[in-house]
Amino acid sequence: MLVKYLLATIVAGLLAGILLTPAMYVRVVPLILHAEEYENAGGHEHSHDTAAATTAESAPAAVAPHAHEEEEAGPELPFGRLGNTLLINLVAGAGFALVTGAAALILGRKITLQNGIYWGLAGFFIFNFAPAFSLAPELPAMPAPDLAARQAWWLVTVFLTAGGVYLLVLREEVWAKVLGVALIVAPHVYGAPEAEDLSSPVPPTLASEFAVSTLATNLFFWVVLGTALGWAIQHYAASELDA
Amino acid sequence: MAAARTSTTISLPLATRLTTAVFSLMLGVFIIYGVGLSHSETLHDTAHDTRHSYGFPCH
Repeated sequence: MLVKYLLATIVAGLLAGILLTPAMYVRVVPLILHAEEYENAGGHEHSHDTAAATTAESAPAAVAPHAHEEEEAGPELPFGRLGNTLLINLVAGAGFALVTGAAALILGRKITLQNGIYWGLAGFFIFNFAPAFSLAPELPAMPAPDLAARQAWWLVTVFLTAGGVYLLVLREEVWAKVLGVALIVAPHVYGAPEAEDLSSPVPPTLASEFAVSTLATNLFFWVVLGTALGWAIQHYAASELDA
Repeated sequence: MAAARTSTTISLPLATRLTTAVFSLMLGVFIIYGVGLSHSETLHDTAHDTRHSYGFPCH
């Protein structure tokens, strides 16, 4: 087990997760909070779970603030909104760093300070850009089809795009590059699940601002993560890899 | 090709790399699943803003 390598990737992930938090608070979180005002004011059937859906449907508009309080007192961890987000970003950063580090290790490639940004851009393309191309980042209260169907589409798209990027970038053969492009395009030709009723209580301007700001924020996260991975692996795991 | 790439390849044999890679991959996937996709209500509510921000399907 290459313990130093593992620890170096986790360090890079935690660093990127810390820096992601203030970046999210520049645009993304204010837009989520803004959208939640419409979520709670409108009677749109937005369901965290079936119980909440029933409350929203049966309750007249006057009771909406009460439903809001209930949602706030949900079973989340008790560190407050900012604390929870910071905690999850740390964990998520480590998760994405571990997956990226594992991919490089399987492929026999070394992530360095110089090429780290390319690993980051690949991660951004695979995990954020490609899924968002057909399944735009959603604000709370936006119309959305079945959650499980969207999650399945998201997962398949991430896997196909990862395979496609590998074939396109790291293989020399012409057939591999053609297949790579096909894998990347396929989920978008197939199409993401779409909501039947597109009417939404959230103003479209908020939604478009949100889609762009999340992509920009995630691009920042991945550039930091890729560069940090290169730096951490070179600094802490070089002896292990060159042994 | 070789000159530019030698510095960024790892010389360790695959067998040495594989244990760490598989462990790291499984741990990473487990974490991403928990943060982004798990239907657990506690995880959903805690990860809410990150899920929306990250573009995970939410709600």
